[in-house]
Amino acid sequence: MELKKINAELFNKAIYDNNEACVVVFTRHDCHVCKEVVPRLEEVSEKYQAKLSFYALDVEQDKALFKSFSLKGVPQLLFFKDGEFYGKLAGDVEEEDMVGKIEELL
Amino acid sequence: MNHYDIVIIGGGPAGLSAAIYGARARLKTLVIYKGVIGGMAETTREIVNYPGYGQTTGPQLMQDFKKHAEDFGAEFLNDEVMEVDFSLDEKLIKTKKGKELTAKAVIIASGCKPRLLNIPGETKLRGSGVAYCATCDAEFFEDEDVVVIGSGDQAIEEGMYITKFANMVTTIVLHDDGILDCNKLSAEKAFNNEKMNFVWNSTIEEVLGKENVEGVKIKNIKTGESSELTCQGVFFFVGMIPSTGFLHDSGVEMDQKGYIPVNELMETNIEGVYAVGDNRVKYLRQIVSAAGDGATAAVAAERYIEEFNDFKANVLESDKPVILSFFNPIVAGSLTFNTVLEKVVSDSGSKYKIVKVDISRKKMLAKQYGVKETPFSIVLNKDTVIKQLNCLMDSENLNAQLQDNISAVRDCPAKES
Repeated sequence: MELKKINAELFNKAIYDNNEACVVVFTRHDCHVCKEVVPRLEEVSEKYQAKLSFYALDVEQDKALFKSFSLKGVPQLLFFKDGEFYGKLAGDVEEEDMVGKIEELL
Repeated sequence: MNHYDIVIIGGGPAGLSAAIYGARARLKTLVIYKGVIGGMAETTREIVNYPGYGQTTGPQLMQDFKKHAEDFGAEFLNDEVMEVDFSLDEKLIKTKKGKELTAKAVIIASGCKPRLLNIPGETKLRGSGVAYCATCDAEFFEDEDVVVIGSGDQAIEEGMYITKFANMVTTIVLHDDGILDCNKLSAEKAFNNEKMNFVWNSTIEEVLGKENVEGVKIKNIKTGESSELTCQGVFFFVGMIPSTGFLHDSGVEMDQKGYIPVNELMETNIEGVYAVGDNRVKYLRQIVSAAGDGATAAVAAERYIEEFNDFKANVLESDKPVILSFFNPIVAGSLTFNTVLEKVVSDSGSKYKIVKVDISRKKMLAKQYGVKETPFSIVLNKDTVIKQLNCLMDSENLNAQLQDNISAVRDCPAKES
């Protein structure tokens, strides 16, 4: 299942207004590691979509948002719960690690 | 289960070239690739040494390779190979997504992946200043100080790219002053770039920082002294390791580092299994040499499959019992024996089919039937060995051996099948 693409506005709404438990992956169109990680997250999302939301955000669109988390690279998976930042996973993340972090969050 | 003629493991330039040749030979060809098509070439921003393309990008060139293979009819599967069984004639491949497929020939083109140094801080600060891809991450270091580890083509070229954003790029080099591992053109450009700075005779010991990278600890290998350098980013380009871990229990021979040795035909130690591109033992790891490997392996695989199919049709499914007569073109006696054998068989009413096997070419069969020297002949009924002939140049004796044998074949229940 393709991840829902969001921008900064939707990002803030989902996390801070709706308090959604969610995973947001920050990507760039020309990042090859992102091209490997996103499909992996899409597969994981099939199993967990009932329990939390999955979003993708292109850093080119919202550099300010990216900087506000002082992130230094893509892909970057950010986890949120109850309106709070829960943790992150960076780089060539394996499926097992994504699932581990999600289970921890739930 | 899906059956293929050739399954290619890996979708980089070597695998895609093999797919072009395999599919063009009208063989049912599948490429299994992990992540994105194009392998490490896909991650290369600028390519200026692939013949016929003055200047192109990795992703563009790999798309052209892929389309070429697709146009000839190659199939693609985005998945990862977890397990293989190469002991069977139809080799078995199991994938992460639970698919099982078979192939008459397998071409291993799984390539390499970046090596980790496994120094303190490297894994912990990944994505927080530790990076491996300049295209992806250089921009996040705008006006900051960055350290690059390594001095090969990739390290220097990526370092130069990072200078477009960063304040200063400091390259940590193992060698003496002025010596880089990269090509001369890139070295010249790097030395002329004001933002490129070099620390010679040194390695990195640790990446420093709690939440984000704050610096690196550098060790001078000549003096043994350690020093710290403040920076916000560290890019590692310290070479590659072969992605051949999934072959551990496959019986495919590998060297200590995991590279696969092959012969001129790209054959591994297992019949019908080939290794091409960066994951094999070789001198030059470039797109152009990977493409050559792929072509060679696909042609070798095509001949192997032809041999395999021929043997099945002519020997294993023959109506008559078959005499497999192994010869070697440089052993005169083995050639003479074939002449005698042919005459004896035709004089006695051609009750046998003779299949001559050149052991200098068909090593698989020679090995399968334990042939050490020629002449060597066995009588087969379907896939059962009835007897081994005593290869004398004496027609009468040979005739007697074959007469005995006819009765043996008559008594053999397999004949009815």
